[in-house]
Amino acid sequence: MTERHDSIILHFVVRVFMVPFIVMFGAYVFIHGELSPGGGFQAGAIVASAFVLARLTLGTNHSSPRIQAHYLIWLASFGVGIYVLAGLIPMFFGANFLDYNSLPTEWFNDIAEHHRTARAMGLFIVEVGVFIAVFSVLVTMYDHLTFQHREEQDD
Amino acid sequence: MKWLTLAFLISFLGLFIYVSADLPDRGDPHAPGNTHLAAEFIELTGEEIEIPNIVSAILADFRAHDTLGETIVIFTAGLAVLLVLQVGYKRND
Repeated sequence: MTERHDSIILHFVVRVFMVPFIVMFGAYVFIHGELSPGGGFQAGAIVASAFVLARLTLGTNHSSPRIQAHYLIWLASFGVGIYVLAGLIPMFFGANFLDYNSLPTEWFNDIAEHHRTARAMGLFIVEVGVFIAVFSVLVTMYDHLTFQHREEQDD
Repeated sequence: MKWLTLAFLISFLGLFIYVSADLPDRGDPHAPGNTHLAAEFIELTGEEIEIPNIVSAILADFRAHDTLGETIVIFTAGLAVLLVLQVGYKRND
């Protein structure tokens, strides 16, 4: 539980410029993970750094209070679950674990009218899982390491 | 004792400099590290996955089991922080 910082300049700069830019840059790094350097790990760390910055300056209670530590660990296991599912689904189609060639992604190519191989689709699904897991684990660790029990706060 | 450590480190520095003369050039296609699987990865990324970024292809496709392990390690780290620091999180209220 980080206290809210007093400086209004810091609040303004962080809320208006820093956090939106960092989140947007994280989204860019994530989406361009297949085209240029980037990917789930890096983008997760960047977006988590935006949340940690908001918590450091605005205080935990004022920065996205709905995203709390005990929900985030569910989100992290959800991310790992996406990865494991992307590995398990090909096994139902007779392929090996994590063999994306057998992922049923033809319907997506029909909708998007843009050809992507099944392995590229599987790669993207895996990156989504890694992104969610890394992001939520980093924010979880910050929230838990700065958590204070209620008795300690009253003293 | 301090001089003994210094002499030890300097002798190792000399050893490393001596060995580094025999290292292959960076990007040398005939170096032992580049002859076994690297060429295959570069070819298969263009042919089968059809994305431009070979690093992502190796990370999430050719070495997918490794990345799964890394993700689980990070998840376990978060879980360990939660378990160690949140003993009696709800019950103390």
